[in-house]
Amino acid sequence: MQMVDFEFRNEIIKENFSLNYCYQCGTCSSSCPVAFITNGEFNPRKIIEQSLLGLKDLLIKDQKPNVWLCCTCHMCVEECPQNVFLTEIFERIKNMIVLIGEPYPETFKMQAKSIIENGLAIPLSQPIIRRRNQLGLPNVESVNINEINKLLKATNFEKKVNLLGES
Amino acid sequence: MSYSYFLGCVIPGRLPFLEISARKTFEEIGMKVGDQAKCSCCPDPTGAAQLDHETFLALGARNLCLFEESNNHILSLCSGCTESLKTVKHILDNDDEKKKEINSNLKIIGKTYKGDIDIKHFAEVLYENIKKIKEKVKKPLKDLKVAGHPGCHYLRPSEIINWDDPLNPKTLDELIEAIGADPIEYDMKNDCCGNPVEKTDKEISLSMLESKLKSMKEAGADCIACVCPACYQQFDFNQREINKNNNTDYNFPVFYITELIALALGINTEELGLNFHRIKVNDVLQKIN
Repeated sequence: MQMVDFEFRNEIIKENFSLNYCYQCGTCSSSCPVAFITNGEFNPRKIIEQSLLGLKDLLIKDQKPNVWLCCTCHMCVEECPQNVFLTEIFERIKNMIVLIGEPYPETFKMQAKSIIENGLAIPLSQPIIRRRNQLGLPNVESVNINEINKLLKATNFEKKVNLLGES
Repeated sequence: MSYSYFLGCVIPGRLPFLEISARKTFEEIGMKVGDQAKCSCCPDPTGAAQLDHETFLALGARNLCLFEESNNHILSLCSGCTESLKTVKHILDNDDEKKKEINSNLKIIGKTYKGDIDIKHFAEVLYENIKKIKEKVKKPLKDLKVAGHPGCHYLRPSEIINWDDPLNPKTLDELIEAIGADPIEYDMKNDCCGNPVEKTDKEISLSMLESKLKSMKEAGADCIACVCPACYQQFDFNQREINKNNNTDYNFPVFYITELIALALGINTEELGLNFHRIKVNDVLQKIN
């Protein structure tokens, strides 16, 4: 049985009021390339509906529909007749999944780890540095990792993203 | 105020040959673009940015501060970085609360975000110089049928990106036309390449790519032109995998628009590192020579 959690809805509305404007016309889903490829298994309209109804467990624990499948193309945002900022709402839901410590795709974790360690999603490897020289490209003066660490500590990033997967 | 490059992570760290084409192109049209040291990940709007909003704003704002300190506008070589940085600027410039909150984080590293620089996608700057590009073309890419792929973050969300038409974009095709090539129409021009979904489900990501390739093939494209390194990787790295899985024969050479422009401006193919492309570009080079 699914529990209704109005606090969940309020939390999203606090961050993005446009959730309230949705009248469930489904234009978002008809413009969504992932909905098209998955025959509606990924369904932006449904994610918004469940957010409005406060079906927190379904979205956060069961992850149905799986909000991580959004390709962030923002077609839904452009097409929505009510100016609901869907991709931003999906981002908030993903933030909640991460914060609560529910599982999320490994690739996102790997990127978070690389940013914590290098300040970059893709650090410069030796072969690439050689290739850059070969092409006559200037050196990339790297980021001051201490500065990044201080900033990430202030936002509590490492704890939030829960790299070890403990909930 | 002049521009400095924001290189991002993917281009300098994986696809440096795209960077060389951009640098040569801007040099050739007489634009001096500087280099900004010490940038971090933008953060990736399809990756880390989805994990924690506060960190997204803090890292993005720090990058903006670096450019403010050196007094340069941002010329970004990647659509994803452009979207992230424009989004951070949009939020901080319109929400004093948030700006205060982020500035208190930035204070720890001795920085303050003010909001006095601009962010532009490289193709936006090229488009502003389209007349100059036309004048400088030495070798028009005649009869080359190019499937332009504008991609998503180059255009949307339009409230933040705020330039080309988000549903019926024209600028990339006009750039293709400016160098004498033929920008073809195809059904799925405005669709996502599928790259961001790879993080969650590779199969879906490849299906999205295949429907684009199919539509390009039906329209008779010779090659693909894009303006984002994530899209570039999706097209150049994954056509073979699709062929292996589905018994198809997609073999479109993939170009960054700056590579095609550089070729039309007469820059030597060896200088551009075109040999680093996974799908060989020889057929296209023959056609335009």
